[in-house]
Amino acid sequence: MFETATQGIITGILMGAIYALIALGLSIVFGIMNVTNFAHGDFVMLSMYLSFAVGSALAWDAVATPLITAPLMFLFGIITYYLLIDRTLRQMYVVQLAVTVGLQILMRSAALIIWQAQPRALQYSFIQGNIQIGDFQILTSRLFSAVVSLIFIAGMAYFLSKTWAGRAMRAASDDLGAASLMGVNYHKTYALTFAIGSSITALAGGLVMSFQQTDPVGGIRFGLLSWAVLALAGLGSLPGLIVAGIIVGVVESLTVSFFDPRSRLLGVYAIFILVLWLRPRGLFGRR
Amino acid sequence: MDVEPILKVTNLTKKFGNLVAVNRASLEVNRGEIVGLIGPNGAGKTTLFNAISGLYRPEEGTVFFKGMNVTNWLPHKICKLGMSRTFQVTRAFTHMTVEDTVRVGAYNRFNEKNVQDKVDQVIKVCDLVDIRKRVCEDLGLASLRKVELARALATEPEMLLLDEAGAGLNATELAVFMDLIKKLNQESQITFCVVEHVMQMVMGLCQRIVVLDSGEIIAAGTPNEISNNARVIEAYLGKRAVHARNQ
Ligand SMILES: Nc1ncnc2c1ncn2[C@@H]1O[C@H](COP(=O)(O)OP(=O)(O)O)[C@@H](O)[C@H]1O
Ligand SMILES: [Mg+2]
Repeated sequence: MFETATQGIITGILMGAIYALIALGLSIVFGIMNVTNFAHGDFVMLSMYLSFAVGSALAWDAVATPLITAPLMFLFGIITYYLLIDRTLRQMYVVQLAVTVGLQILMRSAALIIWQAQPRALQYSFIQGNIQIGDFQILTSRLFSAVVSLIFIAGMAYFLSKTWAGRAMRAASDDLGAASLMGVNYHKTYALTFAIGSSITALAGGLVMSFQQTDPVGGIRFGLLSWAVLALAGLGSLPGLIVAGIIVGVVESLTVSFFDPRSRLLGVYAIFILVLWLRPRGLFGRR
Repeated sequence: MDVEPILKVTNLTKKFGNLVAVNRASLEVNRGEIVGLIGPNGAGKTTLFNAISGLYRPEEGTVFFKGMNVTNWLPHKICKLGMSRTFQVTRAFTHMTVEDTVRVGAYNRFNEKNVQDKVDQVIKVCDLVDIRKRVCEDLGLASLRKVELARALATEPEMLLLDEAGAGLNATELAVFMDLIKKLNQESQITFCVVEHVMQMVMGLCQRIVVLDSGEIIAAGTPNEISNNARVIEAYLGKRAVHARNQ
């Protein structure tokens, strides 16, 4: 009982760090552009397929594939922004909703056509095996992914607070009109924001592919996970995002250990609903 | 001095649905001037500023700035060309520090390497040194007005639009603010167009005054001419005041 719980918590914490990374992509797009991208989970799914394609074509390790997939997803983000998102900004909210849900369906269908329905996984990762600590086991690939995720989130915090582009993004988030009147080009700032959000899913996708497989409907899970993390964290606090990611990871993991592996998303969904009921701006949110 | 006015607005109309907020307004501001834009609440002053600075697209009319037709330009391009502004209801970047807020403005002309000098200079000029690390949402109105002026100055404008920048300031703060504007006008050759309700500020600062009422420009002239103009008094005080005065 105690062992199972501890093991579940360890696994959950490691997964949670990765969930925080995935949610970071959603969070900056939502927080800065006020765009709710319902296709976010499918960006992760697409990224995982790209990792699969790159990894199998070049015989690369999954964790190395973001070197190629991140620039690709950056480009995909820019194209998606200018072709679709930009045109929804001055429209009613339902238009944005319809467009991103449409994008989600489009990406899912495309994945189904290109890679068919069977799950794909990369065969081998150099970070295989376990680290044994007492009675507990830590999957090396998960530990590695969690550490990379946390380092990247810290890097993003630095980028947002200390660079020209990061400051422009925060200014646009606070007051788009005032920012543009002070010389901030909002098209470029938004395109950059969306592209960064998109390339974050490439990094996350590569990391996840080092220990999981991908399938065309896998995006649903990552979408729900990111919304749950974001709802729990609230907007504007990156440490909050990490804590929320870990809570979600642990809840998911404990649901799997103690309830039923098939209901892993049930626990996550339950937190999502609870937060919306009890604390709509999240645990750490400022609005 | 240029013969061409730095700002030339012709027949500008801005509607909100059926409401004509600005109706065929024309005005000119010459380089180096401080022009006051006055008018009762709801006259359309802020709307006119928004249309000039690129925040709103006017239904009709043109805006020429520095000889360029900037009508329908995006705000950041107009800012690059040399216009900046402050807001009646302050719009500092709430979650950013004073210094970062100013820095965003400074990026208009400077890059990461040389932005700091500009930021330091503007923060000093606007007397923000003590609160440079504070977050804007924690500041009071007087400080926010200074932050907005600093942010606008950091873009290195040739022309500044101030929308009721004196509102909510006490007499001392107002005097300091007026001195600063005069100094910027004389030493940095910045042209000003100021919307102002505080008459002390309008009369003390402006060389010329333009009066807007119900979206239309009803008078323009020196402070003296304006304070004796019957239509202006009528717009401000109603018809009876004019009669009373004439008797
Ligand atoms: N965004 C808006 N939408 C609809 N009506 C507006 C908007 N902004 C201003 N108005 C209306 O336009 C008129 C002019 O407003 P405004 O320009 O703010 O006047 P002023 O700054 O001179 O007090 C008012 O009747 C106001 O209610
Ligand atoms: Mg106004």
